[in-house]
Amino acid sequence: MAMLTLRPSTPTISGHKALEIAEMDAAPVYEDLSIYRIELLLENDGWHVAFRIKQPRMAGGGPHYIISAETGEILSKKYYQ
Amino acid sequence: MVDEAPSATELQANPIVQTAFAAAWSDSFPETHELRHEEGGFIYFHPTAGDVLIRRVPPGGRRSLKLNDPPLVPDHYLVATYHTHPVLIVDGGDPDPSPDDIEFAYDSGVPWTIIAETGITYVGPERRVGGLTGPEGSPS
Repeated sequence: MAMLTLRPSTPTISGHKALEIAEMDAAPVYEDLSIYRIELLLENDGWHVAFRIKQPRMAGGGPHYIISAETGEILSKKYYQ
Repeated sequence: MVDEAPSATELQANPIVQTAFAAAWSDSFPETHELRHEEGGFIYFHPTAGDVLIRRVPPGGRRSLKLNDPPLVPDHYLVATYHTHPVLIVDGGDPDPSPDDIEFAYDSGVPWTIIAETGITYVGPERRVGGLTGPEGSPS
């Protein structure tokens, strides 16, 4: 008998929790997270958390994460600069 | 009188620009974790004389640099910015241009050159948008 596994419509990991996971990883790496605004998107592959520079035309970059919406595991990360 | 601004690639071949890039990279202390920080500045071009001027900005943070306020240089047009990415790959740094670098380069209307351990690249327009006309600072 074939079994169909449906993705839950509500992620196990909330957006707030995903953001907390990202911030815990980023804080020791980046000097000051206050210079970033945060983009948080739920996509098919998990939570996308992007720290984007607040001030226009300021060179730099923040960390970008994909975090599992089911386990909270960091699936990928890029430490932009 | 030159109407078209030099391209990012043409600027990279200029000895004055090459010296500025080398100085910025060296001053970024990429090999010294405690001291490393971003360096960079603005590149200007005189449309008649054809000379290139560099204006450095104060040192930035480990992963940021203020390039939002290019000074006006009499008779010269802003044609590019440059900055370093000094955090090495072995230390977790990503040498590639950040999404913010790309967005702000297009927004500013001039190419943004990034100097990293993997080489020199640019993002944004190939050359100053609109040529050597209009406001002498950022074209937009």
